[in-house]
Amino acid sequence: MPYLETSAEWYEQSSLLLKARPTTTHITSKYTVLKPNARKIKKNTKYLEKRAARPADSSRPTSEAPAVDSALEPKATFVLKTYDPASGTCLQYQTTKAAEVGRLIGSLGRLGRHQAALPEGMEDLGAPAEAAAVSTPKVKVEEDVKMGGVPAESKAGGGKKKKKGKK
Amino acid sequence: MGREHLTNDEFFAQLNNLFEYNRDKGHGSVYLSQKRLAFDTRSQPQTLTKVADDPLWDTHPENPLPILIRAHNNKSSKRNGTDRGDVDKISLSTAVQPDQLDAFFVQYAEACKAGMSGLKKRDRRGKKDKKKRKKGAAETKG
Repeated sequence: MPYLETSAEWYEQSSLLLKARPTTTHITSKYTVLKPNARKIKKNTKYLEKRAARPADSSRPTSEAPAVDSALEPKATFVLKTYDPASGTCLQYQTTKAAEVGRLIGSLGRLGRHQAALPEGMEDLGAPAEAAAVSTPKVKVEEDVKMGGVPAESKAGGGKKKKKGKK
Repeated sequence: MGREHLTNDEFFAQLNNLFEYNRDKGHGSVYLSQKRLAFDTRSQPQTLTKVADDPLWDTHPENPLPILIRAHNNKSSKRNGTDRGDVDKISLSTAVQPDQLDAFFVQYAEACKAGMSGLKKRDRRGKKDKKKRKKGAAETKG
């Protein structure tokens, strides 16, 4: 059960799955808060003792302090899972960011329209479609950059084509 | 599962309680799920039955169907030596009619945003620090 990289990808795949099997597919989401376990606490106290014993390093003393605190804070995650028992397809996406929750629930709502067999559309669907369209080329561009000098040429070609079309 | 579905408003009230409960406890999970309600018999039996001839029988129902939304937490039992107490499993469910779907999810998003307070806030502090550091470095260089 792999986790998908981006929420846009998760939404796309889930909507495809829901289109194919709207009755059997369900979406489960789990919000979970975990306290650090005993081993982690022990490790952290040991680490702190070591740090205290070591002579103070004047070059970079301030930056490490918050990292130590965050190790003992409870960890919260939000996992979305689309599962179809008939085909065994399972799509997951995980996040720890509060900023994403609103958008994710929004996409749950749009997926809900598939489940309710309501027609796609309404004005609110325009924005996400654009967002998806914007996000996918970004990924492609990144890939292209990794590949080497190919993207500049292809982009230029695309531009020329567009210009020709306009004329 | 002989429970009655709650109305949407009651569901949100209970959902807020569930999140609040989780916050008080400091750890634990809240599960949310949604699926098509294809077999609701409260009003009239749905016409959605499997058609042998058509493999895509469920992709084009005649009428929009309601959605079932469920929420629950985990049961936990008391354990000595820890601060864990007895907690009953709380489960909620509600059926959302197709015409109320958009309004429901707007409210649902608000409830979840408010409830999932443990997630990481957007951290702008780090950026500022970096900027300061860069500035400091520039000053020392210059």
